[in-house]
Amino acid sequence: MLKRHGHETVLAGLVVIALVVMSFQSAQFLTTGNMLNQGRLMAEVALVALAMTFVIVSGGIDLSVGSTMGLCAILTGVLWQNMGLPLGVVLAIIPLIGLICGLFNGFLIIRVGMPPLIATLGTLALYRGLAEGISQARSVRGYPEWFAAIGQGSILGLPTQIWILGIALIVAGVILGLTRWGRTVQAIGYSEPAAHFAGLPVNGAKYAVYAVSGLAASLAAILFVSRVSTTRSDMGTGLELDVITAVVLGGTSIFGGRGTIIGTALGLILVQVLKNGLSLAGVRGDGTLVLIGVVLVLTLVAGAFMENRVRR
Amino acid sequence: MKYLLTVCALALAAPAHAQWTGGDGAPTSPLPCDGSTVTPEAVAYDGGAVANEGSKAGKPLRVVDIPKLIGIGYFDSSARGVAKGAEALGNVTVTTDGPTQANIDDQITLIDNYITSGVDGILFAANDPVAIAPVLRKALAAGINVVGYDSDAEPDARQWFVNPAEFNGVAKSLIDQLAEGIGPDGSFAIVTSTFTTPNQARWISEMEAYQQACYPEMTWLETVEAQEDNILSFNQATTLINKYGEDLNGIVGMTSVATPAAAEAVTQAGLCGETTVIGLATPNAMKPYVASDCVKSAVLWDTGAMGAAAVMALRAAADGTLKPGDTSFDAGDLGTLQIAHGSQILLGAPTVFTSANINDFDF
Amino acid sequence: MIGSTTLPPSGTGAVRRFLREYGHEILVALAIFALLVGVGLYNPRFVSARNLTTIFSGNAYIAVAAIGMTMVIVIREIDLSVGALIGVLATISGTLAVSGAPIWVAWTVPIVAGAAINAISGILVAYARIPSIVVTLGMMAILQGGLITATGGTWISNLPPEYLLAKMTVFGLPMPLVWAIVLTILAGLWMRLSPFGRSLYLIGGNAEAARAVGIEVPRRIVAVFMIHGAFAGLATLLFATQLQVIQSTTPPNLELIVITSAVIGGVSILGGTGTVFGSSLAAVLFATIGSALIFVNVSAYWLRAFIGTLILLTVMADMLRRKRTMKGA
Repeated sequence: MLKRHGHETVLAGLVVIALVVMSFQSAQFLTTGNMLNQGRLMAEVALVALAMTFVIVSGGIDLSVGSTMGLCAILTGVLWQNMGLPLGVVLAIIPLIGLICGLFNGFLIIRVGMPPLIATLGTLALYRGLAEGISQARSVRGYPEWFAAIGQGSILGLPTQIWILGIALIVAGVILGLTRWGRTVQAIGYSEPAAHFAGLPVNGAKYAVYAVSGLAASLAAILFVSRVSTTRSDMGTGLELDVITAVVLGGTSIFGGRGTIIGTALGLILVQVLKNGLSLAGVRGDGTLVLIGVVLVLTLVAGAFMENRVRR
Repeated sequence: MKYLLTVCALALAAPAHAQWTGGDGAPTSPLPCDGSTVTPEAVAYDGGAVANEGSKAGKPLRVVDIPKLIGIGYFDSSARGVAKGAEALGNVTVTTDGPTQANIDDQITLIDNYITSGVDGILFAANDPVAIAPVLRKALAAGINVVGYDSDAEPDARQWFVNPAEFNGVAKSLIDQLAEGIGPDGSFAIVTSTFTTPNQARWISEMEAYQQACYPEMTWLETVEAQEDNILSFNQATTLINKYGEDLNGIVGMTSVATPAAAEAVTQAGLCGETTVIGLATPNAMKPYVASDCVKSAVLWDTGAMGAAAVMALRAAADGTLKPGDTSFDAGDLGTLQIAHGSQILLGAPTVFTSANINDFDF
Repeated sequence: MIGSTTLPPSGTGAVRRFLREYGHEILVALAIFALLVGVGLYNPRFVSARNLTTIFSGNAYIAVAAIGMTMVIVIREIDLSVGALIGVLATISGTLAVSGAPIWVAWTVPIVAGAAINAISGILVAYARIPSIVVTLGMMAILQGGLITATGGTWISNLPPEYLLAKMTVFGLPMPLVWAIVLTILAGLWMRLSPFGRSLYLIGGNAEAARAVGIEVPRRIVAVFMIHGAFAGLATLLFATQLQVIQSTTPPNLELIVITSAVIGGVSILGGTGTVFGSSLAAVLFATIGSALIFVNVSAYWLRAFIGTLILLTVMADMLRRKRTMKGA
C-alpha cells in the first residue's frame, strides 16, 4: 500500500497536518464560510487540473490552457457585446471554441507529430495573441445579473462552483480509474508503441484528452468571467503553472502512465489550504510562494523515498 | 503541406493597422489648451456605504494595504507612505501584502482572505476596476472600511478614492512638456507597459484627445509594449530610435520603468538634446539623466503622500469625520485636499521634476 | 549513413555531410538572413549598424543562457527556473558591486552562485529522481518569492561605471556580442569533441546505453545542471550590466524565451540532439523577429499571435525537413 500509493499517503498526511496547523494559526480558518469560499476561489484551477491529469497521464502536457482560457474569455465578451449574440447562445459556443483550441493542439501533436511541450508552447503564444488581437486590448463589461449568478451565486446554500467541481471530480475519477478508456490513457502514457500494438485507439484517446483540456479551460473562462463580471485578454496568465503544480504535487508522473484523480484533488487542496491559511496567519504572498515551492519539492522527495526510488 | 498553408493563412489574416495607440477607446475629456482651469461639475457622493457605519469611531484599526503587485519601486514607495501615515495617526496598524505579479485573480483571492481574517480596513490599488468590485462590495457589507488609491474600482465598491492625478491632467502635462521639447509639429512614439493596464490605456486615450485638440500638427508614430521590464523597455526604445532615425523627435514613457529606460536608450544612442524623452518616472531613477542634461523633465505625483492620504482617509471614514457630501478633506501635513467627482480625493497637480527641483525628492 | 547513392559522387562529400549534420542550423541562419534582407529592403535603417548592434548585442544574454539550456535539454531534462535564477543572480551581483566589493568579485560570484544553486536542482533530479520540470517549477517559486522578500522591490542604482561590462567593447565590438560568439564556439566544440560533451548526447538519446558503457549518469546530470547555472551566471553579467540600474524582480517569461531559443535551434525536447550553434542562432532569430515586427508596422496587438505562429511554423518546417531526410536516406 505504502509502496504503491506512497505519494498519495504522504500528501493526505500533509493536508491533515496543514489543516491542523492552520486552524491553530487563525480562528477564521476552519469555518464553514471560509471553506466554501475557498472552493469557489479554486474552481478554475481545479477544473483545468482535472483535465490536465488526463493529459499528463497520457504522457503529454498542455501549456496552452491559460491562453485558451484568455481567448475563450475574450470571445465571450466579443461575441456578446460586439457581435450582438444573445449571451445564452454565446455560452453554448464558448465550450466549442475551447474544444477547437484543444483539438488544434491534438492535431499539432498527433498529426504533425510535434512534441506536446513545443506544440503547446507555440499555441500558448498563439492563443494569447489571438485574444489580444481580437479584443484590441479592450475589456468587455456590464454583464447581466443572471450571468453573474453562475460565478457569484449559490445553489442550496453551496457556491455554484462547489457543485460543478463535485460533479467534475466524480466524472473524472470514474473515467480515469474505472473505465476502459481511462486505462487506455494510462497505457498510452506507459508506452505509446505498446498501446499501438495492443490495438488500443491511441490517436482517438490522445485527441480526446487535448480536446477535454481545451473544454475545461473554456468552462473555467466562463466561471471566471462570471465571477469577476468583466473580460480581459490577460485572463488566465500563468494558469498553466498553477495547474501543473497541483497535478504533479498530486503524484501524477510527468512522464505519463501514473496518476490518480484523488491525488490531483489532494494536491489542489494542499495548495489552496497553504495559500489561504498562510494568508490568514499573516504571511505575505512572496513568503507563501517560497513555501509552496518548498512543499512541492519536499513532498516529491518524500514520495520518492517511500517508494524506494532514490539512488544511494 | 495543407496545415502549413492553414497557419500561413491565419498569420496573414491578422489585420495590420495603420496606427495603434494603445488607448482604451473610452470617452475622453481633454483639458483646454491654454491652461485655464475648469471647475469640475459638482457630483453627489457616489461611493459605497459600509455596514455598521460609525461602529469603529476612535477605536484602533487593523488595516491591510493591497497594491497591484509587490516588488516594484512604485508600490514600494506608496507602501512606505501608507506606513508613515499610519504611524502618524497612532491608532492604525497596517500591513502591506499583494500579488507578486499584477494578476487580477491573485489580488481578488488575497482580498477575500483578508476579509475572512477580519481586518477593519482595506486599502487597494486595483488591477481591474470591475473585476475587483464584487469582493470589495463584500468587504463593505462585512463592515470593513474600503479606500482606494492609484487605480480606482467602480465607485460603489469603495468609500473613497485617493486620485493622485487626474487622467486628463496627466495627459496635458505630458503632452505640453513634449511639445516644449519637440515643437508643435514634432513626431513622437510611446513606450507603455501593456495595453491591458487600465491606467496606462486611459492616459494614452486622454493624451491622444488632448494632442489632437491642442497640437494637431504633431505626429503620433506608434506605441510599443514593454511590460514592466527595464531591459525590454530599453530595447524597444532603442528599436524605435533605430527605426525612425531623425524622424523621431520624442519618446514618452508611460511607466516608471519605461521612462528611465528610454532616457538610457537616447543616451546610449548619443542623441541627447536631439531626441526628447519625457514621461512618468520616479525622481531617483531620473536624476542621472537630468544631471547630464539629457532629460529636461519627468512627471509623477508624490507616491508617499498618496499612500499617507489613503490611510488617513480610511481613518477619517471610520471615525465619521469624512462623510458623503464633504467637498474637502483635511489630511494633516498634506494640507487640505479637494474632493471632486463624487468620491475622489484629489492629491493635486502632478509634480514636474526638473533640474531645479529634482534633488529635493528622494523616492 | 555516410554517403547516399542518390547524390552525385564528388569531392563535395564533406560539404554534404556538413549540410546534413547542420541542416537545421543552416535553416535558422538562412531565416535570419532572409529577414535582414527582406526587412532591410523595406526600411534600410533595419540593417544599419546601430540596429544590428541592438539586435545582436542587446539580446546576447539570451543566447548565452540558451547554451546551458541546450545542454540540459540534450540530456532530456528541462529548467523552468532559469529566468528567476538570472533575476536573483543579477541582484546578488549588483548588491556586491554597489557595496564596494572588488569588481572581479561582483563578476565571479554570480557564476559560482548560479552553479551552486543549480547543483541543488541537479541533485534532486539525479539522485531523488524527481522530474526536472517539477524540481525547477518549485525552484522557480522559491527564487521568485525569495527575491521579493529579500529586496522588497528596491532597485539597485549608482552602479560603478567599471562594473558595466555590457557597455564595454573589444576591438570595437560590443562585449556581449563577443562573449556570445566566443562562448558559443567554445561550448559547441566542447560538446562536439570532448568525451564528456559527447556523452551528453548518449545520455539524452539512450540513458541505458550510457550506463552500459560505464558513464556515471547521475553525476553527469548534476554536472550539466551546474554548468547550466554557470552559463546563467555569465548571462546575468551581460543582462545586469546593460543599464545603470538593476531591477530587483525576475524578468517576466525569460525562461520561455530561453527554452524556445534552444528548441527552435534544433534541440529536440526528447533529448539526444541539438547544438549550441543552433540555439544561439535561434536567439538571434528571435531578436531579429522582435525588431522586424516593429519595423514592418505589425499591429502591436497582433504581435504575440505572430510570434506563436512563427514558432509553430519553424518547428513544422523542421519536422518536414527531417521527414524528407529520413525518406531520402
